Amino acid sequence: MVSLSSYLIISMILFVTGITVMIGRKSLVAILLGVELVMNAAALNFVAYSRYMTDNLDGHVFSLFIIVIAAAEAAVGLAIVIRFFQIKETIHVDEATQLRN
Amino acid sequence: MFVQILFGLSALLTVGCAIALAATKNIMHSCVFLLGTLLGVAGLYATLGADFVATAQIMVYVGGVVILMLFAVMLTGGKDFVSKAQNLLGLAPTMGNKWTYSLAGLVSLVFILTNVKLISSIVKTAPAKTFTNEMPSTVSQLGHLLIKDHVLAFELSSVLLLGALIGAAIIARPKKNQ
Repeated sequence: MVSLSSYLIISMILFVTGITVMIGRKSLVAILLGVELVMNAAALNFVAYSRYMTDNLDGHVFSLFIIVIAAAEAAVGLAIVIRFFQIKETIHVDEATQLRN
Repeated sequence: MFVQILFGLSALLTVGCAIALAATKNIMHSCVFLLGTLLGVAGLYATLGADFVATAQIMVYVGGVVILMLFAVMLTGGKDFVSKAQNLLGLAPTMGNKWTYSLAGLVSLVFILTNVKLISSIVKTAPAKTFTNEMPSTVSQLGHLLIKDHVLAFELSSVLLLGALIGAAIIARPKKNQ
């Protein structure tokens, strides 16, 4: 039987990769990709704990809500990216300086 | 036995595609690797007996979010780009240089160490739950949970989705002719 800690290790790798992508990449779309990875890591943890630690299905419900929220976040985030590209002609993060100072 | 094989394949797909996503420079390739990662996570849900969550993952993420990302990449130019911006010291752009990568590495190291500490204590102290090997369908139980215990969050998430989609349509509307 697959143990709980193997799921936790996979989720941890997903989370760390997502954080690395969020910090290291230059493109706004790549940062949104990192956010998706982090959300998937959290949802995977919820389902794994729901299977191994409890008898109820509350973790599945939380995962479903995470999926819904990720869909909403992706829609709004990509709309902002497209608007930013209309204004600045690029999606480089360092060009987003309008609110500086 | 089938569960172990599915777990191994899904774990390989998830971890490999996630690392390839972080390693590749091309944003279009990153989106395709994200697709592989999400499919792998759906496989992991399947090995955990979460059939409905796995299906929702494939339908919403693989069918919706990744396609949306690909559209955004194609609408904003998928080729490599350079920034004209400079920070205060006149150095190279602040994101994506070696300082930000070393910061990311440090954050990752701290996170991994914290998690190893937490997980080891949890796994040692938690009583091993005994469960049967067959995995019954969770759909009817999930439906009861959603309309009984979690009905407020359920309705709020529908309002959130409606608001997010209207807001996205307003934000991304075409520029007026000036």
